[in-house]
Amino acid sequence: MAATPSPALFIRAEWRDHVKSLISVLRDMNKNKALLMMVLPAAVWFVCFSYLPMAGMIIAFKEYRYSREGFLASIMNSKWVGFDNFKFLFSTSDAYVITRNTILYNAAFIVLGLVLAVALAVMLSELVNKRLAKWFQTGMFLPHFLSWVIVGYFVFSFLSVDRGIVNQALGLFGIDPMHWYNDKTYWPVILVFVFLWKSIGYNSVIYLAGIMGIDRSLYEAAMIDGASKRQQIFRITIPMLTPLMVIMTLLAVGKIFYADFGLFYQIPRDSGTLYSVTNVIDTYVYRGLKVTGEIGMSAAAGLYQSVVGFVLVVVSNTIVRRIDKDNALF
Amino acid sequence: MKHGKKSAALLSLVLAGLLALSACSGNSGGNGPAASPGSGSNTQGGDEKPVELIWYTIGTPQKDLDRVNEEVNKYTLEKINATVQMNMLDWGDYSQKMGVMTASGTPVDIMFTASWAFDYVQNARKGAFMSIDELLKSHGQGILDVLDPAFLEGSKVDGVNYGIPANKELPAQEVWRFNKKLLDKYNLKLDGVRTLESLEPLLATIKANEPNVTPLAIAKDFMPLAGYDYLIEKMPMAVKLDTKDFKVVNILETPEMQKELDTMRKYYQAGYIATEAATLDTMNDAILAGNWFTDRAATQPFADNLWSASYGYPVVSTPAGEPTIYNWSVMGSMQAISANSEHPEKAMEFLNLLNTDPYLRNLIDSGIEDVHYKKTGDNVMENLPEAQNYDMPTFSLGNVMLTYLTKDDPATKWEEFKTFNASGKPSPILGFNFNGSNVATELATLQNVKEEFWSTLMTGTVDPKEYLPKAIEKFKTAGLDKVIAEAQKQLDAWVAEQK
Repeated sequence: MAATPSPALFIRAEWRDHVKSLISVLRDMNKNKALLMMVLPAAVWFVCFSYLPMAGMIIAFKEYRYSREGFLASIMNSKWVGFDNFKFLFSTSDAYVITRNTILYNAAFIVLGLVLAVALAVMLSELVNKRLAKWFQTGMFLPHFLSWVIVGYFVFSFLSVDRGIVNQALGLFGIDPMHWYNDKTYWPVILVFVFLWKSIGYNSVIYLAGIMGIDRSLYEAAMIDGASKRQQIFRITIPMLTPLMVIMTLLAVGKIFYADFGLFYQIPRDSGTLYSVTNVIDTYVYRGLKVTGEIGMSAAAGLYQSVVGFVLVVVSNTIVRRIDKDNALF
Repeated sequence: MKHGKKSAALLSLVLAGLLALSACSGNSGGNGPAASPGSGSNTQGGDEKPVELIWYTIGTPQKDLDRVNEEVNKYTLEKINATVQMNMLDWGDYSQKMGVMTASGTPVDIMFTASWAFDYVQNARKGAFMSIDELLKSHGQGILDVLDPAFLEGSKVDGVNYGIPANKELPAQEVWRFNKKLLDKYNLKLDGVRTLESLEPLLATIKANEPNVTPLAIAKDFMPLAGYDYLIEKMPMAVKLDTKDFKVVNILETPEMQKELDTMRKYYQAGYIATEAATLDTMNDAILAGNWFTDRAATQPFADNLWSASYGYPVVSTPAGEPTIYNWSVMGSMQAISANSEHPEKAMEFLNLLNTDPYLRNLIDSGIEDVHYKKTGDNVMENLPEAQNYDMPTFSLGNVMLTYLTKDDPATKWEEFKTFNASGKPSPILGFNFNGSNVATELATLQNVKEEFWSTLMTGTVDPKEYLPKAIEKFKTAGLDKVIAEAQKQLDAWVAEQK
C-alpha cells in the first residue's frame, strides 16, 4: 500500500492507522502468549518446510542448470522456458492413461477405504471382549508399518509364476499357471486390495478413537427407548462420526492427484506389460526423468499435482459447506 | 475484532517466518566453514594453511574409512599440503544423492562420476563439473604421462574434458560365461559358440537334464548384441558399428535386432530363461548358488579368475563380440572436480597424486599396511582379516595399474591390460555425445515408452511379432523420429568436424 504514489499526508494517516493496529495486535499477542508459544514450533516447521520452499516453484518454469555460486544463483541464472517443462505430462496418449489411473484408483481408495475403515472401527468398538479387540486392532495396524518394497515381495510370493502360492493352489484344481505379472486383467483388483490391506487398520484406529469419544449417555438413552444395535450404529455412531469422516475425506481428495508411488511401482514389479493399468502420474514422472534428471520438469509435475489438488480441496470444501456448514474444513 | 484476529495470526506467521529465516541462514552460514575449514582463505600458495578437500566417491561406506582417512591425510599433508575428507555413498544412492547435492550447491571438491552413476555427460552439460583442460596441464602432468590418451580423447564433452578417467580396461568386450561344472558334466564344447543362436544345443542339453538350473541366466537389464552402438543407453537410436554413412536408426526396426529378438522369444518359450526375467533385478542368487549354466558379461583380462574366486567355483568364458571402445566404456569410472570447488588446483594435485603414487593409491584402495593387508612381495599383497572392514571398489578410485597384485594374479597382469586396451576397436561414434536438451520433452515421454516395452521384448517374455510393431508405433507417436532427426543433425555436424 505504501508503494502507491499518493500524497505524503495521506501516507502519514495510513501509517498512523497501521501503528494503531500494530499496537492492538501486540497487545493481543501479549494476552495470548501462552497459546502462541504453543503454536510456534509447528508454525516454524511449516514456514521452514512448507512455505519457504514454495518459492522454489519458479524452477518449474526454468531449465535448471548448476551455477558456481550455489543454489540461489543456479535458480537465478537458469533460463526461463515458460511452460515447456509441463509439456511432457500432456504430450502423448499416456497423459490420458496416467490421469485416469491416478484419479480412478484414488477415488476407489477413498470410497472403499472410508466404508471399510468405518465398518471395521464400528465392529471393533462393538466387540465385548476388549482384549480380543486390541488383538485385532494391532493385527490390522501392523501392515501400515511395512515398506512397499517388502509388501512387493510379499505379493510376489503369492503371484510368482513358478513358485507362487496362488498358482500352486490353481494347480490343485488343474488350472494352468497364470502369468500374473504379464496379464493386466486382475491388476486393478489386486492393487486396490493390497492398498486397503495396508491402510485400513491405520484409518480404522482414527475412527475408533472418534467412536470412543462419543458420549456413552446417548447410547444409554437409546437403549432405554428400545433402540436395536443396528439403530444405535446408524442413528448415533455414524452421525457422530460424520465430521471426522468429512475431514478425512477432504484431506484425501486434496491428494487425489498424488499416487502412492511405492504401491504402483513396487507391487507390479515395474512390469512393462502392466503399465496401462498401473502407470500413474508419479511413476510416469519417475520413469521419464530418472535418466535425464531434469529438475525443472519434475518440479513442473509436482506443481501441476498440487495445483489440481488445491482446486479440488477448495471445490469439495465449498460443496460440503453448502450442505452442512459445520462440517467444512474452512 | 475479526480483523484484529486475522492480522494477529498474520503477524505471528511473519514473525515465525523471520525467526525461521534467520535460523536457516544462520545455519547455512555456519555450515560452509564447518564443512570446509580453510575455504575462507582464498589465497593460493599460502603455505601455512593446509587446504581441506571434500571428496565423494561411490561404494558401500566402509567401517574403517575414518581410520584410513587419517593415514591418507598424514601423507597428503606432507606431499601437497592438503587433507582430504573422504565420503562414500552407497551404490544405489549415489546418483540421486549426488544429484541433490550438486543441484543445491553443497560444497564438494572431487566426486566420482561415470556413464552409469551420476551421469557424466549430462552433468557436465548442466554445469556440475569444472573444465580440467588447463588444470591437467598445470597441476596434473603425471596423469597425462600415465593415462592412455584414448581415455581423455573419448571422454570429451563438446570438446572439453571434465573428468579424469581411471586407467583401466579401455574397450568393453562381451563374453558368454559358463558354469564349468555343468560344461564338464555333459562334456560340452565351446568351439563355435559366439552368437546367441549358437548357444542353442548347449542350452537344450542343460534344459533336458538339469530341471533346477536356469540355462540362460538373464535379468531385466539384458539386451541381445546386434552390432550397434546406442546414442543413449537403451534408447532405440543406434549407429551400426561398421557404419560408413553414420546413419542413426531405430534399432527395433533393424533386421539384426529383429532376428535376435526372435531367438530370445524361442529361448523363452523353450524355458531356457527364467519365466520372470523381465521383472528380475539380477540373477545373482542363482549364480551364487551355482544354479545357472550361462550368462553374458563384460570381460577384462583374467576375468575368469576373478569370477571363479568370487563365486567359489570355476567359471570359464568365451567371446561373444569384439573388444570395442564405446563412450560408456571409456567413461566407466572417473573422478571430476566440482564446479563449485574452492580449491581446484589442490584437487587436481590430489588426483594427480592418486593416479601416480603407488603408496597413496594402495592406501586408499586396500587400507593400512599390516592392518588391512600385508605385503608378500614387491608389489604383491595378501588381505588380512581386518580387510573386511575396508573393502573398496578398486576400479572407482583412479589408476588401477598401480594397485598391488594378489597372489593369484599373474605377474604380467597390467601388461595384459595394456595389450587388451590396444586391441580395442573404437566405435564409430566414440567421442560423440548426444545433447538432448532440445528434445527434453520427447526424451521424457520416450523413456516411458521404453520402460513399457524394453525388458519384456529383450528377454523374450512377449512375442515380438505382436509387440514389436506396437512398440515401434508407440515410439513413433512419442516423437522418436524427431529425436532421431536431431541426433542425426548433431552427429553429421560432429562427423564433419572430425574430418
